[in-house]
Amino acid sequence: MNTLLMIATRNLAQHKRRTMLLGSAVAMVTTLLVILLSLFSGMRTTMLRTATTLMTGHVNVAGFYKITTGTAAPLVTKYQGLTELVKKSTPGLKAVVTRGRGWGKVVSESSSIQAALSGLNIDSEPLFRDVVEVSKGSLDGLRDPHTVLLFEQQAERLQVKVGDNVTLSSSTFRGANNTVDLRVVAIAKDLGFMSGFNVYVHADSIRELYELDPNTTGAIQVMIKDANEAENVANTLRKAIEDAGYRMMDRVPQPFWRKFESVRREDWTGQKIDITTWSDEMAFMRYTLDTVQVLTIVVVSVLVVIIIVGVMNTLWMAIRERTKEIGTLRAIGMQRGYVLRMFVTEMAVLAFSSTAIGALLAAALCWMVNAAHIVVPKAFQVFLMSQTLQLAPDFGIAIRSLLTIAIVTTLGALFPAYRATKLQPVTAMHAGN
Amino acid sequence: MNSENLKTSAASAIVQLSHVDKEYQLGKVTVPALHDVSISIQAGEFTVIAGPSGSGKTTLLNLIGCVDVATRGQVIIDGRNTLELKEKELTRLRLDRLGFIFQSFNLVGVLDAFQNVEFPLLLQKTLGKKEREARVQALMESVGIAQYAHHRPGELSGGQRQRVAIARALVTKPRIVLADEPTANLDSVTGTAILDLMQELNRQGTTFLFSTHDPRVVARAGRVIRLFDGRIEQAGTESARADEASAHAAPQAGGQP
Repeated sequence: MNTLLMIATRNLAQHKRRTMLLGSAVAMVTTLLVILLSLFSGMRTTMLRTATTLMTGHVNVAGFYKITTGTAAPLVTKYQGLTELVKKSTPGLKAVVTRGRGWGKVVSESSSIQAALSGLNIDSEPLFRDVVEVSKGSLDGLRDPHTVLLFEQQAERLQVKVGDNVTLSSSTFRGANNTVDLRVVAIAKDLGFMSGFNVYVHADSIRELYELDPNTTGAIQVMIKDANEAENVANTLRKAIEDAGYRMMDRVPQPFWRKFESVRREDWTGQKIDITTWSDEMAFMRYTLDTVQVLTIVVVSVLVVIIIVGVMNTLWMAIRERTKEIGTLRAIGMQRGYVLRMFVTEMAVLAFSSTAIGALLAAALCWMVNAAHIVVPKAFQVFLMSQTLQLAPDFGIAIRSLLTIAIVTTLGALFPAYRATKLQPVTAMHAGN
Repeated sequence: MNSENLKTSAASAIVQLSHVDKEYQLGKVTVPALHDVSISIQAGEFTVIAGPSGSGKTTLLNLIGCVDVATRGQVIIDGRNTLELKEKELTRLRLDRLGFIFQSFNLVGVLDAFQNVEFPLLLQKTLGKKEREARVQALMESVGIAQYAHHRPGELSGGQRQRVAIARALVTKPRIVLADEPTANLDSVTGTAILDLMQELNRQGTTFLFSTHDPRVVARAGRVIRLFDGRIEQAGTESARADEASAHAAPQAGGQP
């Protein structure tokens, strides 16, 4: 065994109480860091998965159709050809779905709500079933035209249950009012604010409401394997679609509903394609994630400072206790660099063993939290877009946390260790005499 | 010692100090510890630095041991002027040419006896594992502690610890061994045994330099350098050794009922 390592481990073993205290503190901070990062990762994963599946996809291929220069309908005509092109041109493709889009009133016998309307073909939605948890009825019911899925909160406000009828009412893009009668086939568990204003109907019901032909849809939503690649994929698709002869809208990183006014003022007619990412369509979510990330950084910084102060204090004590030993070792010929390495090795051994224990503990706690399906308060559900707390620890998080805390702990030892090397052998040898 | 004698002996001296002063600064107060000390020690000597507490024995030993630096004067150890050496070179000089034996043994508590003795060789990095272990084993046998090789210092008696310290001091085959009050913390039987051992090692060629006021050590010295208030009072005479021995023996005898 390496002599430095042996001295380090034996010194740690000899000062059991101090080692236990500092080791526990380092392990706890690591546990806290892993849990914090897992929470952030879990929130990000949950929010992204829910929001992109329900509303936007990672990349949104949509656009506007202008019958006259003064109008603006958020539609994609002859979408089948464009969908095939998107499928062929998307790197890292996971799934492509088409959705009808609109805004209208859902009216029951006793109440009504305003809602964003999404028209879908349930059999072409592989991810939808993973995100939406039906509490009553069945998603299979959405295979039939004139059907609707509501969330629990909506169903409660409308005072309807599975099998009841509601009426969808909206203005067509030509300006006429239209209605469609729908049967409630499924009621799903709430998913935060997403479930507050979204209802899902059969795709043909949207076409019927807005008097659209079967070759028209609202948007082609692209799900990719790595959400972080959304911007790159959007650029790739923009080029591919433009090269295929489609007219493109200028890149404006905003959701489609904020573009109505500007598009109405533009002097063109016909179809133009607009490509956005989930982050353009849901800027609020990006802000939320950024805020959580900033908070995480602040908390991590505080933890790092605590660790550094703790380590430095402990090492000052250790060096004071071992001043005579340092003097002796220097007298018998130990170079300053070796003294430095001796103390840093000691702290590194403590740091890596404690952080490993801390990371394992955190992994176990995360597993228990996930297994317990802890229901979070309603206010938290709104942002989390999930009813339960989900922690997403992974090997990368554990290793990153472990290395961060271990390196910080070891670095915290550097200054006291450096001061120890500066002790004159004669001073150190006679310390305590 | 006059300057003529100093010049004569300088050529073969292993330790040579010329007009050395050492002062300590305590705040604004300058405390003189050594004044105009000139000595020359030849290889193979068994020399004692004697004197009352506060006379500068340990300071002189520290200067010779290169763990402290003189305020003025010249300190030459094994032909190297220590004032001209950098910190790293001084440390290497201590490792390769000097051996230290301390009053409180100063062993590394977390290492066992064998590892304590082996440690300077690990710092030297000149011997392979087998050669290193063989040398340590032989040395431990010669100082009579081979059976305690895997005991930690806390599990050894004072005499056994001092034997480990002696083995540690000798393991690098130093040119000179410096011992600061090596018998002060030992009972008389153990102290005598340790001195016997050191004398035997001296006969085999190792130079010993002691700082002590133990009359048993003084009585065995080939040469006594007596310090008083930081100055050399007498050096190198048989009468000095006898005076030193009697000076310590008398009060002790007088103290008996």
